[in-house]
Amino acid sequence: MVKFTADELRRIMDYKHNIRNMSVIAHVDHGKSTLTDSLVAAAGIIAQETAGDVRMTDTRADEAERGITIKSTGISLYYEMTDEALQSYKGERHGNEYLINLIDSPGHVDFSSEVTAALRITDGALVVVDCVEGVCVQTETVLRQALGERIRPVLTVNKMDRCFLELQVDGEEAYQTFQRVIENANVIMATYEDPLLGDVQVYPEKGTVAFSAGLHGWAFTLTNFAKMYASKFGVDESKMMERLWGENFFDPATKKWTSKNTGSPTCKRGFVQFCYEPIKQIINTCMNDQKDKLWPMLTKLGVTMKSEEKDLMGKALMKRVMQTWLPASSALLEMMIFHLPSPSKAQRYRVENLYEGPLDDAYANAIRNCDPDGPLMLYVSKMIPASDKGRFFAFGRVFAGRVSTGLKVRIMGPNFVPGEKKDLYVKSVQRTVIWMGKKQETVEDVPCGNTVALVGLDQYITKNATLTNEKEVDAHPIRAMKFSVSPVVRVAVQCKVASDLPKLVEGLKRLAKSDPMVVCTIEESGEHIIAGAGELHLEICLKDLQDDFMGGAEIIKSDPVVSFRETVLEKSCRTVMSKSPNKHNRLYMEARPMEEGLAEAIDDGRIGPRDDPKARSKILSEEFGWDKDLAKKIWCFGPETTGPNMVVDMCKGVQYLNEIKDSVVAGFQWASKEGALAEENMRGICFEVCDVVLHADAIHRGGGQVIPTARRVIYASQITAKPRLLEPVYLVEIQAPEQALGGIYSVLNQKRGHVFEEIQRPGTPLYNIKAYLPVIESFGFSSTLRAATSGQAFPQCVFDHWDMMASDPLEAGSQASQLVADIRKRKGLKEQMTPLSEFEDKL
Amino acid sequence: MDLESNYEIARTAEFIHSRNFTRVALQFPDELLKDSTLVVRALRDQLRSLRKCDADQNGDNKDVRLFVMADTTYGSCCVDEVGALHANAECVIHYGHTCLSPTTTLPAFSVFGKASISVADCVENISNYALTNGKRILVLYGLEYSYSIKNVREALVEALRLSESKSELGVHIADVMCSVTNPSDDNKSSNGLVGPAGDCTEDKTFGIAPGNSYSIGGLIWTLPDGHRMEDYLLFWIGSDNSAFANVVLTFNGCDIVRYDATKNCLVTDVSQQKRILKRRYFLVEKAKDANIVGILVGTLGVAGYQHMIHQMKELITAAGKKAYTLVMGRPNPAKLANFPECNVFIYVSCAQTALLDSKEYLAPVITPFEAMLAFNRGSQWTGAYVMEFRDLISSSPVEVTQSEEARFSFFSGGYVEDVNLQEEENDKEDSEGALALANATQKVLRLRDDPKSLIKGTARSGPEYFASRSYQGLDMHSNTSLPESYLTGRSGRASRYRDEKSKCDEE
Repeated sequence: MVKFTADELRRIMDYKHNIRNMSVIAHVDHGKSTLTDSLVAAAGIIAQETAGDVRMTDTRADEAERGITIKSTGISLYYEMTDEALQSYKGERHGNEYLINLIDSPGHVDFSSEVTAALRITDGALVVVDCVEGVCVQTETVLRQALGERIRPVLTVNKMDRCFLELQVDGEEAYQTFQRVIENANVIMATYEDPLLGDVQVYPEKGTVAFSAGLHGWAFTLTNFAKMYASKFGVDESKMMERLWGENFFDPATKKWTSKNTGSPTCKRGFVQFCYEPIKQIINTCMNDQKDKLWPMLTKLGVTMKSEEKDLMGKALMKRVMQTWLPASSALLEMMIFHLPSPSKAQRYRVENLYEGPLDDAYANAIRNCDPDGPLMLYVSKMIPASDKGRFFAFGRVFAGRVSTGLKVRIMGPNFVPGEKKDLYVKSVQRTVIWMGKKQETVEDVPCGNTVALVGLDQYITKNATLTNEKEVDAHPIRAMKFSVSPVVRVAVQCKVASDLPKLVEGLKRLAKSDPMVVCTIEESGEHIIAGAGELHLEICLKDLQDDFMGGAEIIKSDPVVSFRETVLEKSCRTVMSKSPNKHNRLYMEARPMEEGLAEAIDDGRIGPRDDPKARSKILSEEFGWDKDLAKKIWCFGPETTGPNMVVDMCKGVQYLNEIKDSVVAGFQWASKEGALAEENMRGICFEVCDVVLHADAIHRGGGQVIPTARRVIYASQITAKPRLLEPVYLVEIQAPEQALGGIYSVLNQKRGHVFEEIQRPGTPLYNIKAYLPVIESFGFSSTLRAATSGQAFPQCVFDHWDMMASDPLEAGSQASQLVADIRKRKGLKEQMTPLSEFEDKL
Repeated sequence: MDLESNYEIARTAEFIHSRNFTRVALQFPDELLKDSTLVVRALRDQLRSLRKCDADQNGDNKDVRLFVMADTTYGSCCVDEVGALHANAECVIHYGHTCLSPTTTLPAFSVFGKASISVADCVENISNYALTNGKRILVLYGLEYSYSIKNVREALVEALRLSESKSELGVHIADVMCSVTNPSDDNKSSNGLVGPAGDCTEDKTFGIAPGNSYSIGGLIWTLPDGHRMEDYLLFWIGSDNSAFANVVLTFNGCDIVRYDATKNCLVTDVSQQKRILKRRYFLVEKAKDANIVGILVGTLGVAGYQHMIHQMKELITAAGKKAYTLVMGRPNPAKLANFPECNVFIYVSCAQTALLDSKEYLAPVITPFEAMLAFNRGSQWTGAYVMEFRDLISSSPVEVTQSEEARFSFFSGGYVEDVNLQEEENDKEDSEGALALANATQKVLRLRDDPKSLIKGTARSGPEYFASRSYQGLDMHSNTSLPESYLTGRSGRASRYRDEKSKCDEE
């Protein structure tokens, strides 16, 4: 631990070249938090006054209980490099002192949003991979996300101790395993060709891969060993590093390096010979308590042990020895300092991803140059509950300028549009705060490149916002974060005592702030809804709501519900017509399913209402086979003007058509939000306006006549086009030993899931299973699975796609019709669907 | 039941005669319209005979003219004063279901009608329920049963006396307000005529009565000191109509049982009504996000409606929103959809027509009480519910507790500031009027290329909404001065034009 005063810490914050902002990302249970703890133990900054208080990572009771991380926590580390170590460092620097702002993020998919929020404010990522389990689904997800944000990764192959103690594999086999892990990670990274970011793949021989044992607190990169052997072999370090990885073999008998295994029994791969074997030897000697052998070896390595440590035995001794020889902190921190970019370096290329406005304005330039004297650009990525009940810190990163106590800032919310006053507030920062361990310290100001917490803005920021100086009215906001998970699981909550409603409302408001992903809304029926990424996420949210945000007032929660989508299977069997209330106007329409992939393209924003018409028609004609002219006749998207449904004008020569367009659009927005089956959102339906007959007098074809009619005819065309329900489906990844497979399959079968991939992890007895599982069946899936496999299988579910339910909701007694009836009942609608005759009129 | 007693011909004639009215309007709801001729004839006969007596006494002889009114502009439970004034009537006789809302200009006499009820069955049900339940009971009823309430009361007292054990259980029965409503500025009803149920107590004030007196939909009762409404179990005699819904919503904290006189059964499940309450809560939340509010004038008779409309306007403006007042008779989806720029409508009407289930409407329709909850920053939904807008007039006016925090919207799931409020502050700073005007124009121009403002309700006034429409009226092709060529139009009827017939026949 490093004891610091706030002023000392503040001083380093000015050296923008000597700062590293990085997050630790990994699959659940690959040892992020343990690894972080060992770093913190060595280099964590704590306030001078609180020395003695050792615990750094502020753990919630439920985190400890479940053994998983739920909220991301930020910690500052201080590391002083030696001149010698920095010799080969080519980048800019300011002295030897380094400040590392590290964010430990959760690994469970349900909390991916925390990772997203962490990535936004960091420039580099330490990807932790279990050397046995390898690259898992969540590793992949977060890695993709990191690269999407232009975060440079470094990798650490963790849990090395398992190789030596648990599995006892020999050097060559271990090498193959590590090689495969690194390769797998590189495969993912290779797909992100980014000229600005350069090559993001990791190479042990370049020092961007570390090997660590978080639990025992040791780690090394090839640099460590290369330094050791370079002088011995008389080659320079980089040359030595190359020899320590890949197809380089050394035969001590001949003292020769070869690029192939010569077959001689003494010929071994460089890595095995010079890295793996020595470690193995040390560990074995320690474990067997062969102290007489151990001490000379240590002396040779230049490791000196304290006398009281010499009395340790077995595992404790091994741990101590390894920590002294290859301390995790120096290996990992040096790797970060060397290979992860400083804010000033990273913002040069990140500005394009970050800034929404023109890339040549003053704000873009200030971000690009990480200019502390430029205009303030600060992104608030999450809100952190303060000890003061109900209040929050706005936590974020200063990208340009500096933020100071008392500064008046412009707060641009997520719905802010430049030039308008919507979602815009001008308020003063009450205090700027930095964390020193658990303790918050108020500082005068914080310059760009650093993370900061602000007090006094929480009443205007829900989840995130961009802050700038009061006078900077031309600034555009920093782009909103894109989450990899979506809130598909919902529960309705109500308070046990009706008069607690104000408490519930207040609690929901706080909950919405405290979590980057959770959505608190209200249903048509007046029920409050909490939507989260998964069952676990919801469980945590509900607990927080009741205990922390509502002062323990009791709440009743409904069973989890899933929202469905309504779509169509075929083109309408006939052109349907509806008449306006005055019978003077008639709309003719047909519904048809969208081409495959089109709905997703709209979801991703590749096609949307704000497209350039030419670009849109190009995509539509080339990828989806649309007629070029037709692409220009899209009236609108919906629901909410951006949804994955549309209205296309197919009419020819209709008079006054332009006059009713707005009304049809309004009717469509309404109808696509509440489909005819169960008032769920529509998805993937294209409505074609075939013909329109209008009254000659404008007064008789106003909105009042056309809007309700448009809604009715849309419903009628939906019903005549074989309507179907879409249900959300999870991608489940399960890792388990062979004997658990039977249990997994039977649980999946019983839950309507189906396995589409089953791979044995080479070199391990573990199987990797990927399956699709309907979200509605996923409640209790985790616990059932654990029960069926005696705790050996732990699933990770992430929303993947919408799946059409085969059964016909219009056919009485079918599964879908039962579902429709249930949804309608829950929503307080008539259980019977409104019949087609209510929507369609006859001539 | 015969016409004479069902329509209370004698009493009505007595009322008209005693007040010397010469032009009288008879207001019938649609379902009673078929009896109107019979009623008029009976009434005329009765009046004629009364007049004859009079003429004999003091030689005063004048003809009473009766007018039948049907198809009221607003709810048929309210007195249609405007309609009556068209006929220059001096008073209105209202038949059928009524909300007994006070009138503005004309005196009104209500004939509730008499629905059949088995007093014995009813009493048995009440007493059984009272004995098993153990709570104090308050009996409320549909006005169509008021004629028999006297009998119910006597029978009930008898029944409870028999089951001595629990005689301390109080059963309260509400009284009916006078069936005569006089438009008077002090808002008091006259005591001139005694209502059918008798027992008119001395002080009958409208609105929230002092102390423990309550009144709703023409019923009135007083609770003993120290008793709260929540301590009572409400026992409703009558059908599941708007009057009942009114009671359920107003006293949503009480347990309510309904006795259906036609089916002779108890209905204890009022979940549907409770559902309505939650739905109203949703509408309030939704209204908070509105930028443009339409005030629908739902009555031209109920006393104080103008005051209420005025109050609503002030409320809306204070909340930084734009208000438009619309008079369109009884609202329906097609009428309201002609104003797509309004995000929410406030329906100012009598308590029993106020609740519109706006599922079919493009924008929700809320009551003045809900509007006050929605647009008064800091007010909270506590569960208390007020249907009568008159009770709101007296309630303390807007107490703007400007909380610092931005408003949290459950629709966007985050903070939304009511833009106009902010702008107001800023406008004060921009003292130059010309600059403000320029800003506004600029804003409108910018809005033109924002397709979202059309649907998402981001427009803040009618003109802004209009500016964002894709169609803004006739396109003038000024560059071509040539006259357009002559075209033959369609002919035939709107349901099927002549040229379409052939198309259909071909199929």
